[in-house]
Amino acid sequence: MRPESEDGVMSLDFLAGFTIFMLALIMVVSMVPGLLAGLESSGIDYDAVAYRTGVILVEDPGWPVYPPWEMNDASHKGEIQRIGLAVSKETPNVLLSTKVDKLFEAGFFAPEDYRNKAIFGDIPYSYNFSLNISQAGGNYELKQTGSPLPPGYGYIRRVVKIKEPGVANVGYSNSYTAADPLSPARTFTIRLDFNQLLDPKRGPAYRIDPRTEPVTVKIDLDNYLVSPHAEATLQNVTFWKMDPTRPNPRFTRIPFSYNDMDSNLYTLTLNSGPSNLVPAQPVRGSIALELQPAATSQFTLDQNSILDIRFAFQEAAEDEPQHTSINGTYLYDYGNVDLPPLKIGVLEVAIW
Amino acid sequence: MVNDRGQIYTMEGVAAGLIMLLTAYIVISTTSIYTPGDTHIPDMQLEQLGSDVLAMMDTPDTNGGESRLIELVRGGTGTGDALRDEFLAGCKMRSGGPDDDLRAQVYLSYRTSGGSVKMIPLSSTDPEFTGRENTVRVTRWVQLQTRPTTGMPGDMALRPQAVLVEVLLWRA
Repeated sequence: MRPESEDGVMSLDFLAGFTIFMLALIMVVSMVPGLLAGLESSGIDYDAVAYRTGVILVEDPGWPVYPPWEMNDASHKGEIQRIGLAVSKETPNVLLSTKVDKLFEAGFFAPEDYRNKAIFGDIPYSYNFSLNISQAGGNYELKQTGSPLPPGYGYIRRVVKIKEPGVANVGYSNSYTAADPLSPARTFTIRLDFNQLLDPKRGPAYRIDPRTEPVTVKIDLDNYLVSPHAEATLQNVTFWKMDPTRPNPRFTRIPFSYNDMDSNLYTLTLNSGPSNLVPAQPVRGSIALELQPAATSQFTLDQNSILDIRFAFQEAAEDEPQHTSINGTYLYDYGNVDLPPLKIGVLEVAIW
Repeated sequence: MVNDRGQIYTMEGVAAGLIMLLTAYIVISTTSIYTPGDTHIPDMQLEQLGSDVLAMMDTPDTNGGESRLIELVRGGTGTGDALRDEFLAGCKMRSGGPDDDLRAQVYLSYRTSGGSVKMIPLSSTDPEFTGRENTVRVTRWVQLQTRPTTGMPGDMALRPQAVLVEVLLWRA
């Protein structure tokens, strides 16, 4: 009898072992991509984040727009939703200097704020923002924030222009002199007609907008002194407003903390020293008032309002003739205000 | 007794082969190799830069003023090199040293009095330009009120027209 052939027999141990091995292999293979995800190259991702951040900064005015985000002080920083530097949505690449100054203000924004309000990433990215502004004479002013650059990073470069606020320099003119030297008091008014300033026919890049930019007035008082040796007494500076769209429009004095000096709201410089708005002191030389948008926003003005800034000069003694002849109304408009030309600059965003 | 006929001797071989294949796959999939397909990122950055510079050259510095770009285009071939140099100066600006290895060439497309469209080089040719560079092209429309008296071809239409300024920009 032939012994039973064992051809084609496979041992059970082998089958079981091979099955377990294959199952383990399948499990390991299915887990491997997840294990290595952290090692994948993501340089392209950084470039995309840098591009997006660049777009937010140069093509967007940020949020909120009115009152503008850059007006918030450190205690109201939470109200800033998004940091954007553009003058308006209609003018991409034209940046507003006040927004630029706030973005690069030392100690105002923490790294976390830049991540949450400009970069908007899920990952805590490192960043470096720099803005190089071309100045007259071929020099550059460099503003920078963030960490030093590592060897590899995502990058975008945007060429921009920067809009700076206008300044009204009140020089000598017969229009602002009072003929009567014995006039009881002098009132010199700076008038801002918002309807005229915010004329939509004028592009946002060339507009005077007191709601977003400081109003700066410089008066050269020496030209208006009756005698070069006698200083004139500036009693106070007050703000008045009128809404011409109302029935019987008239100017009303705006309630304001005239006695408190606060450089976030205004800066009044007399005799080259700071003062509050009720100085009641003799002055000569230059009077400079810079009214910040933070103050203008408290005045509840709209696009039809007229804002008056009144400088009241009166000598202490009642029967004394006035020492200055300055009087009348100076229009803070496109004819009188020197708007500086736009400056070219380059904004660089690096993300890693 | 079980003899060894029908057994798979090469089990180790199969397993080792699989492991080698898997290793190769993992190594290749976790290494990013820069291929020509990835050049769209630097190209995008360069294109963005070029179009920003053209847009800013086309933005007047004062209200109602004329933009530098229109001024230079009106000079035609006479100011073409100045246009290219100012464009490049804008592209090279950086917070560190200037980005010096950028090159550019400017072309102008216009409509002739016959109604067809022609293109002329506005700037002189870059001496190192071979035509095989990896260039990006940025364009801007410029409105001309009349045909400039100098620097423009004689067959250009006299009526007001929009001409297309094209700039080829590349890294040398």
